[in-house]
Amino acid sequence: MNDPMSHQTTKSAREVEEAVFLVALDLTDPARRQFLDKACANDDSLRAAVEGMLEVHARADEFFAKSRSKIRLTNAGDEVSLPSGEQRAERQTVDGQLGKFINQYKLLQRIGEGGCGVVYMAEQEQPIRRRVALKVIKQGMDTKAVIARFDAERQALALMDHPNIARVLDAGTTEAGRPYFVMELVRGVRITEYCDQNQLDTPRRLALFIQICQAIQHAHQKGVIHRDIKPSNILVTLHDGVPVPKVIDFGIAKAIEGKLTDRTLFTAYEQIVGTPAYMSPEQAEMSGLDVDTRSDIYSLGVLLYELLTGRTPFDGQELVKSGIDEMRRTLREKEPQRPSNILTTLHGTELKVTADCRHEQAPKLISLMKGDLDWIVMKTLEKDRKRRYDTANGLMMDIQRYLHNEPVVARPPSRWYRLQKLIRRNKVVFGAGAAVTMALVAGFSTSTWLFFKAREAEQRQAQLRQTAEEARANEALLRRQTEAREQINLAAIYVSQEKFEAANKLLNSINTPPPKPSYDGVSAYRLVGDWLGTQERWGEAAQRYAALMEIDKIDKWSAVTLDYQACGAVLVESSQFGQYAAFCQFTIDTYAGTTNGDAAGRILKTCLLLPADPELLGRVRALGEAAENFIQPQNPKLFSGWAAIPVAVWQYRRGNYDQAAVLCNRWMDSGATNSALTATLGVVLAMSDCRNGQRTEAIFKLAPAEAVIEKQFAAGLEHGDGSLGYWYDWVFARILLREANQIMANNGGIPSNSDR
Amino acid sequence: MSDITLVLQAVGRGEQRASENLLPLVYDELRRLAAARMSSETPGQTLQPTALVHEAWLQLVGDDHRKWENQAHFFGAAADAMRRILIDNARRKSAVKRGGGRVRLDIDNLDLSAASPDEDVLLIDEALEQLEQQDPEKARVVVLKFFGGLTNQEAAETLGIGERTVERQWAAAKVRLFQWIESQK
Repeated sequence: MNDPMSHQTTKSAREVEEAVFLVALDLTDPARRQFLDKACANDDSLRAAVEGMLEVHARADEFFAKSRSKIRLTNAGDEVSLPSGEQRAERQTVDGQLGKFINQYKLLQRIGEGGCGVVYMAEQEQPIRRRVALKVIKQGMDTKAVIARFDAERQALALMDHPNIARVLDAGTTEAGRPYFVMELVRGVRITEYCDQNQLDTPRRLALFIQICQAIQHAHQKGVIHRDIKPSNILVTLHDGVPVPKVIDFGIAKAIEGKLTDRTLFTAYEQIVGTPAYMSPEQAEMSGLDVDTRSDIYSLGVLLYELLTGRTPFDGQELVKSGIDEMRRTLREKEPQRPSNILTTLHGTELKVTADCRHEQAPKLISLMKGDLDWIVMKTLEKDRKRRYDTANGLMMDIQRYLHNEPVVARPPSRWYRLQKLIRRNKVVFGAGAAVTMALVAGFSTSTWLFFKAREAEQRQAQLRQTAEEARANEALLRRQTEAREQINLAAIYVSQEKFEAANKLLNSINTPPPKPSYDGVSAYRLVGDWLGTQERWGEAAQRYAALMEIDKIDKWSAVTLDYQACGAVLVESSQFGQYAAFCQFTIDTYAGTTNGDAAGRILKTCLLLPADPELLGRVRALGEAAENFIQPQNPKLFSGWAAIPVAVWQYRRGNYDQAAVLCNRWMDSGATNSALTATLGVVLAMSDCRNGQRTEAIFKLAPAEAVIEKQFAAGLEHGDGSLGYWYDWVFARILLREANQIMANNGGIPSNSDR
Repeated sequence: MSDITLVLQAVGRGEQRASENLLPLVYDELRRLAAARMSSETPGQTLQPTALVHEAWLQLVGDDHRKWENQAHFFGAAADAMRRILIDNARRKSAVKRGGGRVRLDIDNLDLSAASPDEDVLLIDEALEQLEQQDPEKARVVVLKFFGGLTNQEAAETLGIGERTVERQWAAAKVRLFQWIESQK
């Protein structure tokens, strides 16, 4: 290709090329090709030139973005104080001190200057010869008070002994009467810089962050609050090639903070401009009294935010520019954007650079932040400190839970919260969204808290076992699982865009689903299975649900048992009786001991879709009793007749036709006449009557139920809702209806179903 | 009032010589500011040139919108100054070719771009010189955007052209420069 800037190419030719290029840039194929065909008709050299430009465009963008990003390394939001004339003059006099002694410390080299002082590398000769960092606090401090405050905390500081904390060794007064602090010398770079330079991916960033949490937790346990957590106070050094973060400057903010209250607001403002981006709302109030460990949690949250997204929740410079009152107001009132949100607001190349620094593709980085990480970060950044994590440990544990795919504490209490949002985004598919939401919330409220806890503990155990097994499994398997996880995540994205067919295709291509996919991944299986159900594609739906049963070890019973109902229904509907029997075994084993009547009922119903042999009836006995107990009229948690269906079916299967009929009669009117509830109970009642020899009556009772069911299927299935019934409730009703018709035809005899 | 503000006002009044005086002043101011910033805090720290340019402006005149015209002059000069600082730096560094030691404790020897891809910056500068010959307007956009770190809006106001034009010029210039750089490799 010709030299693009050679003089052989005339100016006008270049202008034409660029004009065509810029238009083409905004187009995508096939429109782009059509445009080029037209614009470059009969001009091959123009076409070649433009195509050359289009070809390198993306690389050129990246090249410039990269080059630029590398000449701006640190986050500008960190240190934004400007040296005043006085400070500049002061520096010169202090610098004259190199080589001199401050008490027993010989100043060797100046290694930094912060908002509150100058830092030197110094050598200590007594009692041991070692190099230390010595920080001389700026003029304008009440030295006595600073030293007194430091002394008050000296004992607590001395108690701290943690590999991730740089120890504060000593404090004193220079000849000129300024306070200084002596610290363990840490040769390292800021954590943010270290992560970007080494392109650490998110899990590795989190691993470093966890160490910092441990350090802060240790300090808090010794009664020391840092008060000035920010990247420049967390340096990463390499120990045998392993990065080790070290928190420096412990105790110093506390010692020098008192002055904020006894000087004018303006001076105070100048003092704090060091790190407003990391300051908690209560710190910004500067009352000086009302700061506790949770203030450090907030600053940790800002740090986490920056590690994840490359930005602080509020821009440090903008905070300073806006003035002190506005700054306080922002910190007190303005909700920061979620990490995933702020990433989506970035421009293409900016986002790409951020993602590159994290060794990740941009869309994946965003989807990685969504959900758990968003929640964890936002919980640390709560304005009201009561709503933050109580301890650094709590924050750390939640991050570990995230890394292990366990439910995080920061997640809003209701698991349904997210499903609701998905459903809201997919109204068209799910039909009446509001009704669904209400039904979901209502369904959830029936759960019992204790059951929950026990289940959670079991799940934790199950997960631990699984992790151990997984570790033993071979590498190829792990790799396949990783790939599968990625596909599942992609499917989740398709689902959120209502592209169910595409999502289904992806999930279908996964032979062995990985044991621990993300929440969104689990939801994808559920929502695709659900969608297939409404399309009456039973076989495929059964596959999705079977996989869901396999992988979903993290959801609460209320979600899982609904999945079981759907799964059972599609297995029967797709005539996979062998699998259905195995599924029932598995389900009963899983829930055999449950005392939760609602859950028991759902399982019971799922397992009694087809006529049951005595062995099966024996195995579900406990479930039946729990479900029967649940529908006692005095139970406050009972609010609809749905819970009566399993019991009625159970009694019917056991041959207790009278009791079944009583239940049906009692609960039939609790639902709307066109509901799956009324229809199902109508069918069971008809079957019971038939068994009791009242065939004619049974035929009359079956007719309206049959009409409702036929009508529903003729109109097509929808996701449905908790009052008229979900699609699988209708499938269940139709399965029973078939059985009923068979019985009628056999004049009350036993239906023949050799397959079962 | 600083020298720069006086010169800026003179530039605003259209005094020919004043604009010649502007660049060295802005250059010195930026170097001084950078030196102050670089010496602060942790060794190995680096700076964001964009922030520096904005900071210099804020420190000089504050956030006064009436002085916008001056800010356009200032931004222009600052972008040039920043280009010079970065290039000087890159030249010095690629000449010295220091190895590994990433943490530098030497504060006298101001190093603006400890980890910048020096070769790339030099190549961009060289390509830019070519572009300046052929298409000065586009080259100007590159100086403001790449070295000055200005936003499209700021560059547009500095040059007195539309934002969309800046965007288009920048997109085309990047491709042209990149093609030239590739052809040199």
